[in-house]
Amino acid sequence: MKKPIIIISFLGIVIVLMLILRISLVNSISTTGITLVNIQSKIASYKRENELLKVAYLQSASYATIGKEARKLGYVPVTSEIDLSAPLPLALAK
Amino acid sequence: MSWRYRFTLLFFLLFFALIIMRLFYWQVVRAQELSAIGQAQYDQQVVSEAQRGEIKTSDGFSIAADKLAYLVYINPKVVKNKDSESDALGKLLDIKSATVSALLSLNKFWVPIKSSVDNNVKEKISAKNLPGVGFEEQTVRYYPEASMAAQLLGFVGKDARGNDQGYFGLEGYYDRQLSGKNGYAIVVHDASGHPILAKMNNSTVKVDGRDLVLHIDRRIQYMLDTELKKGISAYGAKSGMAAVMDPKTGAILAMSSFPDFDPSHYQNYPDSTYINPFITDTYEPGSTFKPLIMSAAMNAGLIQPNTQCDICSGPVPIGGYQLHTWNDHYFPNTSMTDVIVHSDNTGMVFVGEKLGLDRMLDYMQKFGIGDMTGIDLQGEEAPGLRAKDQWHPIDLATASFGQGIVVTPMELLDAVDAIANNGKRMQPQIVAAVQTPDGQTISIPPKEINQPISATTAQVMSQIMVDAADEGEASFARIKGYNIAGKTGTASIPVAGHYDPTKTIASYVGFGPAENPRFAMLVVLNQPSSSIYGAETAAPVFYAVAKDILMYYGIPPSE
Repeated sequence: MKKPIIIISFLGIVIVLMLILRISLVNSISTTGITLVNIQSKIASYKRENELLKVAYLQSASYATIGKEARKLGYVPVTSEIDLSAPLPLALAK
Repeated sequence: MSWRYRFTLLFFLLFFALIIMRLFYWQVVRAQELSAIGQAQYDQQVVSEAQRGEIKTSDGFSIAADKLAYLVYINPKVVKNKDSESDALGKLLDIKSATVSALLSLNKFWVPIKSSVDNNVKEKISAKNLPGVGFEEQTVRYYPEASMAAQLLGFVGKDARGNDQGYFGLEGYYDRQLSGKNGYAIVVHDASGHPILAKMNNSTVKVDGRDLVLHIDRRIQYMLDTELKKGISAYGAKSGMAAVMDPKTGAILAMSSFPDFDPSHYQNYPDSTYINPFITDTYEPGSTFKPLIMSAAMNAGLIQPNTQCDICSGPVPIGGYQLHTWNDHYFPNTSMTDVIVHSDNTGMVFVGEKLGLDRMLDYMQKFGIGDMTGIDLQGEEAPGLRAKDQWHPIDLATASFGQGIVVTPMELLDAVDAIANNGKRMQPQIVAAVQTPDGQTISIPPKEINQPISATTAQVMSQIMVDAADEGEASFARIKGYNIAGKTGTASIPVAGHYDPTKTIASYVGFGPAENPRFAMLVVLNQPSSSIYGAETAAPVFYAVAKDILMYYGIPPSE
């Protein structure tokens, strides 16, 4: 008579433990959706910032902007050039 | 069997029959519809939009890229003070407040007000906390250099289904490479609408568009744009175009034409400005065509640079017409070098007669006249050559000095490029390489089309063109110390069966330095009003750009 009681008790304990395990697992997984949404929104905001910075860089580095700024600062196009002829090597010059 | 028993049996039979019927209704009759509703509750199709590839100049700068923008919308039902809100939105979005007010009067929950709104404007609107106003993210094409090389780039519009599509120029020609492919995925949601961390059922994977790296040198493009715009304004031309090419590879370093448009706001410009005239417009090249015919005759061994013209002492009669020089000055027994230097039409008639129709047509075809160059841009045109039986003696004579024959500027530049490149004609190329999203770079090698003339003929012709540049009509504009090969062109425009003497297409074609050409360039001005001659209009523009290029490349003077 003792054996069936032990087996039944053991099975009962296993079932309870499995239930606890399942509940804890479900509990931990249940919040991952929210975490996932948070991560996704963070990624989206970084991407957005990146895009905006890229556009700001392109805008500032464009020749259209540089030309305009250069004119404001009083720069003028180079119209003359200076050529420096390299001196002959000493041995040849002598 | 008692009646009670029978009644109970019947009741249960009917009850089960009803259940089976109901189940049949749900499971079979409305199965598809209910399955779709259920699917919609926990599944959501997510479109992962492919990013359109960027277009970069040779220095790696993106001259066409995607940019984040916003669609501003409003829910009119929550707006209380319509007048003040429409005023505020009108000012910030640069639209009439009456238009906004009309939109606010609509009996709808969602009304779009303006799309492609910049982040700065969006921030200003957000700061005002206007009731009912919302924003939807969009991706729009952005061109940081505004209208620089606009006709070369083309623009991105919408197709019939509302998807992005490239039109004209590179955006059109390379649309499939640039656009990539959208990806679609099914995301499973829980009862609260949060995504469940589970494997997504990917139906298709997103493939981003490829980037294009151009041969276009942004600095040369800027110089060309600036000088051409200046030239058009200074000489009162109706329009103008120009391109710079690397003679050895066929790489297009810059291409410009005016009037142009801003690809970001293409809707605000006439359709005619979208077309790149350098590859589509046909015109009579005039004297810029002479070096091709002269080099053909020299290559065929029919003339030498010192061959004397025995018909150049006065106007040449052909088929009832008298062919004159451009200034009615005649040089008896002039040499072939001087024919090019003085841009002598009668001398070219002499060369044309020596060459004959068959050989002239053969050489024209070898130089690519009448054919498309194969440049990688959308919309290239080829005017074609007339059939051999439609050529009369007068046509042969006028074609020898570039009248009565039509070319596109691209064709002419590519043909003259062969003289600069030891007789080898290269295929013009805009794109140097294609970059895949995974970082691979696929280079596009230069392509030699053919060799219309020998290297020796090309070198002799180059020297003749240097003489023409140094001693010809445009010699005042030459850059001292440098051997630049050049030829002016002043072509009359045919109007209603005759040439209008007051309207011309002024041009200048050349390359330099002649001993080791680093650039070949063609400048074309349409109907300049200050002077009708190429020497006085297109040539100064050519030399202004040439000087900038020589300084930019750091090329020392030849002399």
